[in-house]
Amino acid sequence: MSDTHSHHDHDHDEQELAAKKAARPKIEHDNKFWLSLDQYQQNPEFKKLAETEFLSSPLKEEDDSANEGWARREFLKLMGASLAMATAGCIRRPVEKIIPYNKQPEEVVLGVPNFYTTTYFDGSEAIGVLVKTREGRPLKIEGNPSHPISQGGTTARAQASLLGLYDPDRLRAPKKNLFNEKRSNKDGIGISWDDMDKNISEQLKKGAVVVLTGALTSPATRSVVSEFGQAFGAEHVAWEPFTHEEIREGQKSCYGDDLVPGYRFDRAQMIVSLDADFLGAWLTPATFTKQFSKTRKDLGKMSRLVMFDSSYSLTGANADIRVRIKPSQQLDVAMGLAHEIVVNKGRSSYAGNSNAKSVLSAFAGTAKKLGIEEELFKRIADDLWENKGQSLVVAGGLQTLTADAVELQIAVNFLNSILENDGKTVEGRSGNSSLKSSNKELLALIKNMEQGKVKTLIIHRTNPMYALSSSAGFAEAIKKVEMVITTSERDDEVAQAAHYVAPDNHPMETWSDAEVTAGVFGLQQPTIRPMYDTRSFQLSLMTWAFLANKGPKRLLAYETFFDYLKNYWKEEIHPKQGRGQSFDDFWNQALQEGFVGESVNSSARSFRAEALNQVKKSKDKTGYELVLYPTIQLGDGSNNNIAWLHELPDPVTKVCWDNYVCVSLATSQKLKIKNGSVVQLTVNNKKIDLPVHIQPGLHDEVLAVAIGYGRTHVGRVGNGVGQNSYELASVSNGNLVYSGQETQVTVLNKTYKLAQTQEHHSMEGRQIVVEATLKDYEKKKEHIIHRHPIWSIWSGHAYNGNKWAMAVDLNSCTGCSACVVACQAENNIPVVGKKYVMQGREMHWIRIDRYYTGTPENPSAVFQPLMCQHCDNAPCETVCPVLATVHTDDGLNAMVYNRCVGTRYCSNNCPYKVRRFNWFNYVKKIEKPLHLALNPEVTVRMRGVMEKCTFCVQRIKEAKNEARIDSRPLKDGDIKTACQTACPAEAIVFGDMNDSESRVSKMFKHERSYALLEEWNAAPSVRYLAKIRNNGKESASSDPESKGGHS
Amino acid sequence: MQHRHDVRNFGGMVFIILFAAFSVLTTGCKFQPGWGYNKGYSPEQPIPFDHSIHVSKHNIQCQYCHNQVERSTHSNIPALSTCMNCHMQVKTDSPHIQKLRDAYDKGASVEWVKVHMLPDFVRFNHAAHLKKGVNCQTCHGAIETMSRVTQNADLSMGWCINCHRQPENNAPLNCTTCHY
Repeated sequence: MSDTHSHHDHDHDEQELAAKKAARPKIEHDNKFWLSLDQYQQNPEFKKLAETEFLSSPLKEEDDSANEGWARREFLKLMGASLAMATAGCIRRPVEKIIPYNKQPEEVVLGVPNFYTTTYFDGSEAIGVLVKTREGRPLKIEGNPSHPISQGGTTARAQASLLGLYDPDRLRAPKKNLFNEKRSNKDGIGISWDDMDKNISEQLKKGAVVVLTGALTSPATRSVVSEFGQAFGAEHVAWEPFTHEEIREGQKSCYGDDLVPGYRFDRAQMIVSLDADFLGAWLTPATFTKQFSKTRKDLGKMSRLVMFDSSYSLTGANADIRVRIKPSQQLDVAMGLAHEIVVNKGRSSYAGNSNAKSVLSAFAGTAKKLGIEEELFKRIADDLWENKGQSLVVAGGLQTLTADAVELQIAVNFLNSILENDGKTVEGRSGNSSLKSSNKELLALIKNMEQGKVKTLIIHRTNPMYALSSSAGFAEAIKKVEMVITTSERDDEVAQAAHYVAPDNHPMETWSDAEVTAGVFGLQQPTIRPMYDTRSFQLSLMTWAFLANKGPKRLLAYETFFDYLKNYWKEEIHPKQGRGQSFDDFWNQALQEGFVGESVNSSARSFRAEALNQVKKSKDKTGYELVLYPTIQLGDGSNNNIAWLHELPDPVTKVCWDNYVCVSLATSQKLKIKNGSVVQLTVNNKKIDLPVHIQPGLHDEVLAVAIGYGRTHVGRVGNGVGQNSYELASVSNGNLVYSGQETQVTVLNKTYKLAQTQEHHSMEGRQIVVEATLKDYEKKKEHIIHRHPIWSIWSGHAYNGNKWAMAVDLNSCTGCSACVVACQAENNIPVVGKKYVMQGREMHWIRIDRYYTGTPENPSAVFQPLMCQHCDNAPCETVCPVLATVHTDDGLNAMVYNRCVGTRYCSNNCPYKVRRFNWFNYVKKIEKPLHLALNPEVTVRMRGVMEKCTFCVQRIKEAKNEARIDSRPLKDGDIKTACQTACPAEAIVFGDMNDSESRVSKMFKHERSYALLEEWNAAPSVRYLAKIRNNGKESASSDPESKGGHS
Repeated sequence: MQHRHDVRNFGGMVFIILFAAFSVLTTGCKFQPGWGYNKGYSPEQPIPFDHSIHVSKHNIQCQYCHNQVERSTHSNIPALSTCMNCHMQVKTDSPHIQKLRDAYDKGASVEWVKVHMLPDFVRFNHAAHLKKGVNCQTCHGAIETMSRVTQNADLSMGWCINCHRQPENNAPLNCTTCHY
């Protein structure tokens, strides 16, 4: 009887349920912000994905043949711990040993870190950093806040360089390669330093020596190289993929200065960038971001950034106005703006110059030709003029290395001169004068090598075997060199062709110095004894000169490079920068502060009008154009073995572990391809197969590919990841051309899955990011944010002591992701590899969400860093069955790893999706000595344990401890989280909410501040300051009630 | 019904016996404080360092050797150079001191066996306790009388919390105090 009754009920229930469902209010999703095209189009697949909490592996459904090579490859999860127990016998407890020092070093207190100043140089930018060491082991890189140029900012790569020190693929001893006749096969054997030095110094005496290095920013190293040159008649050629040669040539033509100038974005109110990704990977991004962010904080004096972008760069994403162009249009834009100012409006001192006007006349009607709104173009030109002396036009980088690269620089210099920016925002002589790499010199060297004119080649910190297109012929030419010596720290592509490998110390193991900008010098001091049997490059040169007994006295006089360096500073740098201090004081101050000197002032220079005559209009081009660009994660590709950088999602595309070709939506529709289709690009008879990524906002004729991937000999992490797009560069007129080249596309019948993190953690259209234009803000102030009524039936807990809170300024955040890597370094966060990233299992505690707004043809983007919100009414705390996550009395959501049993209910309940679960024992896969990079202050989590941002609780405790020991109260600024110290834009502020004078309290009270998903009354301890875009317009829907779109 | 008298419930009997044994084992152990912890652990050290001689007899302060305890979370085992401060001249004929000197001259160290071991997920801060006026003997017992260091307390979480819970100690009770 019960059966029939329940059956009847069942039917009735279903009907009722259906009726109830129909009567429910429809949830209007706010489509103003979208994460990806699938979401914008409300793709049903996306919706399904959005509803799943834990994704199953997308690889399961795939036919494995499509993922040959990639699925089979083993990804190392390279972070973890291994505390070895001394004995494994059957005793009740493990025996642990304590091994004290033999002689106690004076400066070491066990458990208390020491900070040393040093400099990090990535080939273009020298950043002043502090290295945190514990017991002689570097653990973390922080920015040096007292440094006058970078002022404490760092980049993702600077943070990750720590892992390069502990890289298991570093060479541990010198090596000799025995080649066969044709040098097509080799055998590597070990060799002692003495034997190698003997052979090399004998060879050097024969002459015809060339020293090929990367950019050498160290004055002492340059001195050693030049003295070595005197000893053997050796030529010095400097080359890196980012030569900045086009900038120097432009400067030389226009002003007579063969230098890369210094740019002052902090003095600029109106900035126009032509493909110069200055916030991302161009020239000195940490410094530029620091400068730029200063103009974005005071909304009364907010700057405006206009970007003419041929790829969707980070700078483009942060621009107030972004215009998509293709590389062949860069020159048109620059000259078109000049035409607008000089010819159309008759402004500037060149208004009467007939020569200038005739050159410019070829560029009339640019806006119309390029398909840019004429009003907009005119307004940009007008804005530039109205802000003359406070504006800045920049161009540069691989995206601008077209056949017209130098002409573009001349046009940009012309603009800066007529706008009277020179001497104010462009400081001609205060840039880094040591940036002297040259494509032309390298190509000339290759010719010499081909002709057998080079007997000995010494290669240091540069990799033409990888980063130079094979059309330049370096690989063939090097076979004609009698002896090739390299100082590579690993068995890389250059080491494959070298006879002797004399591995250099890692920059953190060796003394050196740096010229940061003209007049500002920094020291690079070692923070750990050299781990292996390596020797610094400078000492190698000194040794060879010494053994051959050739060269100036200074080169031969010292036993170590440290002595040489110190003497160099005494003789060369102290007299100029010393200011009456004794040398010892001067030296100690340099070590203490991290820098000496002051940047030089540059006065305005006069523009050489005849330079304009070089600028000719090139033919209009049709068809696809290639854009090659560096990513912030990998830069030029020299850090390719660092797993943190591969796992870091690209800030704009959010793809990691691969490179791809970006195409616009229209192109994808035309070619009938979608995300993951594989296409073959043909550039000048060179072919490359790449997966497709549809990038909103790209010009329809642009195909953008990142460089820095596809290495063959960098180590177990980087080998074979991505494709080497450096190959696509072409040699033309004795120079290299990267972008703007004609490209053919063939669609292959293959697909390839890219690991993209953006579609994880969807927020379903609620008020996550608040963006308004400056005009909106001026009109409505705090009403740009939709406030929700929140009520509660209880008054909450009282926080009587400290209450930790964090404020994030979306207006300052550029999305550079230095915070993500810093957090990974500080908190021992494991790397999971591509396969698990595809399942949404990446472990980053802080992530940067990138939202597009607008149409897929030309959207703008907003970045939002998201970490655990430490909610006072945390949804995760109430559901933990074992109370592994609880709230502390200072406002933190504490995670007690040893109590966690892995229910994952907390992650399920978290509306912000900031909790990370250790699905596997990632720590077990550690490859020594990477375990040395682990922070001993943070627990290393095992399989089955949930983790999340802790507001750097270890730093809070450390600071509280120090204050307690010193018997003083904690003050604002004592505690800085890892993300805060890494950020070059000062977007993250951490502090005590209960202290009304603290910075974070003031930011909380700011009218632009709002909490994420405040309507759910989770009471987060994090506030975001709304992003303001200074595009001179009011936003389309200015009605505050329409934001959010939910009832 | 008649059958039930004769057939013994063999399974039941076994179960009851096992259950009894099990409960005695577990609850019996519960009433033995420190079982499973290392209270009383007194391992042999490579050099039989005798605290009673150094502290009681010669009145050397704890913090002469364990000098970083007030600045650091760790209480450091002194470097060999600290021992040699005295033992360059003192009792140089003793074979133990010879061993120490040999290690010192070679640049090697002495591998002391750790006595007070806390699990990896517990972080204890010595400096904080010192600042609050907790003296060494409170947790480590009468070290000055020990010829060989013995673990005096069981160092269990309950034992720590007992002190933290006393209102007069004003000690934090957050989980993150020790587990972070």
